[in-house]
Amino acid sequence: MSWAAHQFEVYAVEAHLPKKMKGQISWFAIFFGDFTPDFLAKFWVYGFNFHGKHYGASKPYQWHRGWPGMGISHTLFFGAMCCLGIWAWKHNRAWTIGFLLGFAAHVLTDVNDSIGTMLLFPFSTLNWSLHTWAYAATIKGGKYLDAAAYYSSLGFMMDLFWFFVVVIGSWRVLTKEFWRTNIVAADPHVWSWLGQWLDDRGLLALYRGVFFYGVCRMIAWTTWAHVVARPVINGVKRNGYPWDLSWTGPWWVQHVTLPQVTPWVVLPMALILLGVVYFVANALWERMESGSIKEIAWRNVRRKTT
Amino acid sequence: MTEPSPPEASGTSESGVPDSGSSQRQKYIDFFLYASAAATYIPLAIYNKWLLDWIVGPLWLVAWVWGLPSLVKLVRRQPVKPRRGPDRTPG
Repeated sequence: MSWAAHQFEVYAVEAHLPKKMKGQISWFAIFFGDFTPDFLAKFWVYGFNFHGKHYGASKPYQWHRGWPGMGISHTLFFGAMCCLGIWAWKHNRAWTIGFLLGFAAHVLTDVNDSIGTMLLFPFSTLNWSLHTWAYAATIKGGKYLDAAAYYSSLGFMMDLFWFFVVVIGSWRVLTKEFWRTNIVAADPHVWSWLGQWLDDRGLLALYRGVFFYGVCRMIAWTTWAHVVARPVINGVKRNGYPWDLSWTGPWWVQHVTLPQVTPWVVLPMALILLGVVYFVANALWERMESGSIKEIAWRNVRRKTT
Repeated sequence: MTEPSPPEASGTSESGVPDSGSSQRQKYIDFFLYASAAATYIPLAIYNKWLLDWIVGPLWLVAWVWGLPSLVKLVRRQPVKPRRGPDRTPG
């Protein structure tokens, strides 16, 4: 799984929207789309202890990304179903397309760990994984070992990569000007509603909050794993978890896998699917506008008749 | 209840006239607030992992960046609730 990368990619997606969608896609929708897969699956992955008994998935990796399990929450198919639901409910293309892009970003980023995601579900339940770093959520290690492994492996580099994509390639996305002209403009009702309680400074902090959280969790977990923690690995007590920036690292966690396709086809497929998602979003954008107008017209007719 | 209007451009005074001196000062204050939010959150979160949460993290920033100035305003008996809408522009 990815950690702060999921926070940073929300801003990266926002910054790289197709031209005709700039200033029109809901940032909240991108955030919720990116957030939904782990919101649905992750709680039971780590589980919780109550009166000395552990409640949670018996095989976290199977539950998180496999089938049967909540692996469906990390599929483009599920994202498309959610978008259909949002469209049927609200007829709002800013939210429907925003959710789709955020969701797709999460699913495609998660092909990097050793479990990967079921990219072609429901046509295939095979997982697609690049094995860039080891999936490390276990019952015994919980969140701590997971974080330590991620921030000792190429996962850390992944977070850094997305961080730099935002602060170097797309730094404008964090500015007050961008927020005012693109973010607020795309979602005036939500920001207006929040504006009842918060002034501009507070609203801007709320918008930047996800990025702030990403930066802080990256620094905090990395510092804890390499400076504060005193793990015992293979019977040896160490000052901090060892770094391992090799492929499928770190060496000190058990490698778990699910039935999957050969890693060589994963990157091309992920890129193709990314292209497909953008193509579909582009193609639907114009059609959805007429759908939105129709829906508004019908709503007005209903209001007049009741 | 009337619907509030969207947030307005900052760097403008109550009358809507740009105020470069105060906006420069605002930038320094903002920088200080963001930096201090990170400087407090990260060390605390290292030893209190429950703080590393997707709700707590963003809210920490809002509490720090918006809450602290609001607290100062409260102490000075100034209004905290944002004033927006048509009543803000004169005449």
